[in-house]
Amino acid sequence: MSQFIYQQKQAWASLKKNPGFVATVLATMGTTLGALLCILTLAYVLIAKPLPYPDQENLHLVVHHIGDSKGETNASSYTYPGLIHLYKNQTVYDESALIYYDQDVLTSVPSQPTLNTLYVTPKWFSLLNAQVHLGRTFEATEALDTNNPVAILSFNTWVDEFGSDTNILNEKVTFKGVSFNVVGVLKQSFIEPALSTIGLKSQVILPWDYNGMSERGRGSWGNINSNQKFIGKVKSALTLEQISQTLTPLVNDTWKEKVAGMAFFNGWNIEMKAVPFKKQILGDSTNTVYLLLAGVIGLVLIACANISNLFMSRTAEQQRQLSIHAAVGATKGKLFKAILSETGLLMCFSVVIALIIATVGFLVMQEFLSQRLPRVDELMINWVTLASAIAISLLFALFFAGLSSRMINYRALNLTLQSSGKGTGIQVSKNIRKFLIVSQVAVVTSLVFVNISLLKDSVKTINQDIGFHTDNLMYTTFSSAGATRPERDLRKQLMNEVREKLTALPQVEQVVQASSPLNGFNLWATTVVATNERLTPEVKHIDQNYFKMIGQNLIEGDLFTTADIKDENRVAIVNEAFANRISPSESVIGKQVSFGDEEHTTIIGIVKAVHIPGDINEPILRAYVPTSLAENAMILKLKPESVVSREQVVSVLQSVTSQYNIFEMESLDTQKAQLLFTQYTTAITSAVLAVITFFLATIGLYGILSYSTQMRRFEIGTRLAIGAKRFDLISLIINDNLSSIILGMILSLFVLVGLYLGFSEAFAAYINLSLLTLFVITVVLISLISLFACYWPLRPFINRPAIHSLRGSE
Amino acid sequence: MSQAIANTKIKMTNISKIFETQELETHALRSIDLEINAGDYVSISGPSGCGKSTLLSILGLLDMPSGGEFYIEGVNVTDLSLDEAAEIRNSKIGFIFQSFNLIDELSVFDNVALPLRYSKDKLSDEAIKKRVNECLELVAMSHRVSHKPNQLSGGQQQRIAIARALVANPAILLVDEPTGNLDSKSGDQVMDVLEKLNESGTTICMVTHDPRYADMARTQLKLLDGAILTTPELKAAV
Repeated sequence: MSQFIYQQKQAWASLKKNPGFVATVLATMGTTLGALLCILTLAYVLIAKPLPYPDQENLHLVVHHIGDSKGETNASSYTYPGLIHLYKNQTVYDESALIYYDQDVLTSVPSQPTLNTLYVTPKWFSLLNAQVHLGRTFEATEALDTNNPVAILSFNTWVDEFGSDTNILNEKVTFKGVSFNVVGVLKQSFIEPALSTIGLKSQVILPWDYNGMSERGRGSWGNINSNQKFIGKVKSALTLEQISQTLTPLVNDTWKEKVAGMAFFNGWNIEMKAVPFKKQILGDSTNTVYLLLAGVIGLVLIACANISNLFMSRTAEQQRQLSIHAAVGATKGKLFKAILSETGLLMCFSVVIALIIATVGFLVMQEFLSQRLPRVDELMINWVTLASAIAISLLFALFFAGLSSRMINYRALNLTLQSSGKGTGIQVSKNIRKFLIVSQVAVVTSLVFVNISLLKDSVKTINQDIGFHTDNLMYTTFSSAGATRPERDLRKQLMNEVREKLTALPQVEQVVQASSPLNGFNLWATTVVATNERLTPEVKHIDQNYFKMIGQNLIEGDLFTTADIKDENRVAIVNEAFANRISPSESVIGKQVSFGDEEHTTIIGIVKAVHIPGDINEPILRAYVPTSLAENAMILKLKPESVVSREQVVSVLQSVTSQYNIFEMESLDTQKAQLLFTQYTTAITSAVLAVITFFLATIGLYGILSYSTQMRRFEIGTRLAIGAKRFDLISLIINDNLSSIILGMILSLFVLVGLYLGFSEAFAAYINLSLLTLFVITVVLISLISLFACYWPLRPFINRPAIHSLRGSE
Repeated sequence: MSQAIANTKIKMTNISKIFETQELETHALRSIDLEINAGDYVSISGPSGCGKSTLLSILGLLDMPSGGEFYIEGVNVTDLSLDEAAEIRNSKIGFIFQSFNLIDELSVFDNVALPLRYSKDKLSDEAIKKRVNECLELVAMSHRVSHKPNQLSGGQQQRIAIARALVANPAILLVDEPTGNLDSKSGDQVMDVLEKLNESGTTICMVTHDPRYADMARTQLKLLDGAILTTPELKAAV
């Protein structure tokens, strides 16, 4: 034991003499291992860790696939009556629950926030083991068709909106004019499964009966809605296939019966599929995790190569001390232990730094990636992180110590002393140096290429012309404050008054009645009258000034007139994609479509297509129809440099009516930035990673080549003495390393092709010819740093008289 | 006069070398005057630290003098750029070092050919081969062409180094303690080679502290504290 402590003290003393070396090792290994631990923990949570629900492997989300026979139209949403039919009649699941995701304005508190609401049947609580901090969960008294107005708050809602009021169980909350008695507060530890949107956290849980589906919707077999879900816990003996075969006829047969009268649905079918919770929640994020792992392992490899090189240089420097140890009787094993004490100490400190960095990484991921990656809420330092940390630090300590001690030629060490420092007992073999260069170049080329590609792709999406402008535009939506909406004529009158008052605000230039051009499209079942072709374009209600306000250009035909809006005329304006689809050869103006009812709609204009961030590549069919003056969504065009606050709009609204609340209000620029969030994060992350990789690689290559140049100083001196010019020596060093650098680049091509084959689905969208240009750019950049790494260490030898290189060779 | 210039291989006037550190100025060489003619065999000797090596490195354009003038074959080489100096070293000077300074990765042939590869006039492979073999013959090492230096004895290595020094037909051979790393038998062999070369017309300037070998030179210079002590024969020659 005292031997161990002695060695640690010696190691500490030896390291203290070289703070630059220690700082470089700690900074490099600390950050890269921190990133590695962070991603390893993420991989564990996403891939291996069981979900925090009892019998989690038996929990299913049951999905309702509805589509036509051609497979052209496909959706995974329930019809409302179909869902209730399934809930009441299925026998596959012992326990099941209905879920309806929505947002509502909490009108019973002064700030009137818009909250995420969740409407469920009672079994939701037992299925997910959702326990209460206060009060009770839903019981039989809240089952389907009981209409009992009670509410349960999430822990955060209780804290944020009610200041952790211990008296909360005597309070009421009001949504859409209904007062709900608060009967419980969920535990803080409860984690809601992300079955609909990643990162969505429901803030208030209400009984199913009060969900936002209209009376008409509740009976409609022809409308689907993606907000409603079905979950259940299966009797373990059944396979997914068997479940699908049992549930499909139960739902499909009834649905076909109910829609038999609707021609549009001829040939359509419903298929029921059970999706295990884990699969549903993870989605395709396992691919993301593997990519992140690959990236971070690449970084660790680069760092590892750099640090190996540092350790080898350090051992070379220490050869005289080591010789003295050997001379006084240190065995090879003892020398190894001495080196291991140093590498062990360094790795120990690095891992401490790494754990701190990983913790920061978890917070950053929870802050910025909770909408993109599932289960990030569960990230924290756990036994996997700690075990990996210990294993990694041991492994690296042994690796670096082994590498350093292998360099020591124990027999030659004694010679070092005898020949008073002239021997070469310690040298990094040429093959190790070559290997370091090849691996460094291979890893850095792959990583830089992947990062530049990601950067370019996201910058392209960010800079893409969306086809309209967003500056000085804001949108706002109103929701009705009561349980029932005002009558249609009253709504028209109220909205008209609100619009006029908003227009009268000094900051406002114009107001149109329409939802934001960045969302608010609905899929409509559409039939082309002439050909009977069935399509499901995205349709939006707009008024006569919408296109002019947002700058979306008309290509052919006319815009809506004031009369079109006032009379709600049966006219439509379509985008180019729609026009080309239904009439590729002749003008579409004057053609008719049917939106499912008797009266036909005539196309009067064609507008340029818009590209909403997040649109998939294929052209999206879009159509615009006249809005009703009762429309409760508006877009405000502000005068340059002016701002309208939510409070100002609230006061305008309240001066007109108390029957409406502001549901949402945002500038279009902000909304666009939110839609581009992934691209912005990708762009920033990949740019930062590319720069770090580049930087690490430059240091690494410089380190290796600087060491090998140092080893060759006498040879360089000799060559200078017999007449080599500076250029000759630069080309000599470049030529000597060229093969390693080229080999590294070729290897990176294999790595990239391997990555592509392994993740072809994830990459398919990125593969095109411009990648070749990117690869050339990457290769040029890597060549530049390689040239730099060849030239820079040569400078002291070739820019001074040759005698300086030769001196000491005698 | 023109005859004299043609015969004068090296001419140094008032050459000095000062090494400066922050606190100290060391006068390694003080006002050295030196002239070496074609066919001369000059030895420079003196105790450790007298400036022998400094003088030799300035003679070989490996280092720059702090003052004075220096001509090689009538060309002023006092103030050359690094690359210009390299070119003169390549064409006019042949070096022989105490530690041979052969390059281990290159074969004997390639070591000898190296100066020709750096030459301004690009020779054909044929011409290089011919010239290298000639030089290896001169040092009696033709039978070791494809060996690596570390497969040879010290004496053999030094003979290869001599062949390398001769290959570009230099104006002068600069020899630095050629026998320092050799046993006496090999040392004698190397000295024999140098003597024969001088007899056939090669100009040699050698630094040594071994009086036995210094005596073999026809002109013997003694250096002490950076100055030439006696140059009776040389003065007589001038």
